Amino acid sequence: MLNVDWIQIGLTIFNLLVLYLLAKKFLFGRVDAILMQRREEVDSATKAADAAQQEALETKKEYEEKIAHVDEEKEQILGDIKKQGYAEYERIVNDARKKGDQIIVEAKHNAEVENERAKEVYAAQLTDMVIDAASKIAATKHSAADDKELYDKFINEAGAKNE
Amino acid sequence: MDLKEILNELLMEDKTFLRIPVGSGTLEIYKSVVLTWVVMLVLFILMLILTRDFKVHNISKRQAAVESFVLWIRGVTGGMLGEEAIGYADYIATVLIFIAFSNMVGLFGVVPATMDLNVTIALSIMSIILVEAAGFKKKGFRNWIKGFAQPMAVIAPMNVLELLIRPLSLCMRLFGNILGATVIMELIKAVAPVIVPAMFSLYFDIFDGAIQAYVFVFLTSLYIKEAVE
Repeated sequence: MLNVDWIQIGLTIFNLLVLYLLAKKFLFGRVDAILMQRREEVDSATKAADAAQQEALETKKEYEEKIAHVDEEKEQILGDIKKQGYAEYERIVNDARKKGDQIIVEAKHNAEVENERAKEVYAAQLTDMVIDAASKIAATKHSAADDKELYDKFINEAGAKNE
Repeated sequence: MDLKEILNELLMEDKTFLRIPVGSGTLEIYKSVVLTWVVMLVLFILMLILTRDFKVHNISKRQAAVESFVLWIRGVTGGMLGEEAIGYADYIATVLIFIAFSNMVGLFGVVPATMDLNVTIALSIMSIILVEAAGFKKKGFRNWIKGFAQPMAVIAPMNVLELLIRPLSLCMRLFGNILGATVIMELIKAVAPVIVPAMFSLYFDIFDGAIQAYVFVFLTSLYIKEAVE
């Protein structure tokens, strides 16, 4: 064991280098790859989390602004609705008034027509009565008293009918 | 069986394991080299099995153990090397694992590969090359040469001598410790063949093996750290 042989030394050095390369590739290399992957994942996850937080903050800000404007918007909407309501009210009242006027006009018209018709009927009856009376007078012999009586009767009849 | 016999058996035996005919002569390959191949093969298979289908999420206990082992051993070697030489941590960790495993094959009744002077020489040559290469890479040729004359030009010969002394001490320390441990184990086995060797084996094969592996890489790391400062 004490003799020194350069071939053995060379072989051992070669062995060492081979072992180092194997360890580098299969032990340290593989572990490093995993560690690197894990680090990248953590980095990307952190980045994503940061981005999400930023986004959330922006959204929050946006909504806060919206909420701040909500009162104004409410007033505006209420005002609009009131205006619309007034307009509608005016329109309805106007319509009603117009209709009422129309009804009154129609009623007046109807009444006139009715009145006219009644007058015509009355005139026709009067004509009949006059003809009737005249024919009665013509048919009977009459004295002055009879005539007077007749006239009275006629007037009475006419008066009764006219009431 | 006396000590002389044991030493003779351990040190003077024929170490040639394979004889491969190459051209007119034969290429002799020692047991230690073959044992190194076996250790490498075992380590390689272990690595393949242990690092199989690694995942990013929902990791298995095996993966968690391997990950923490890698981080731990890198922490150990990286801590010894310091910030500037952290890039050599993987090589130092590999050497640590290799020497520790090689020292511990005594558990299976095999003579450790690190008990062959050729293996420890190879390890220390690699170490000194790495040390000087690290210094060279860090400082550049000019400053690397100048580094030999520091802190004073007078001790330049000492610094040059260190190029030899350092690997020599590294290889002899490892070799001597493992040889000593093996010799003691053989003696104990000769005196009390059952039970007792098992207890001592805990110290001489496992503890001493790990300690010597650690000492070897610790000194190498120290030299590298010094070289890149």
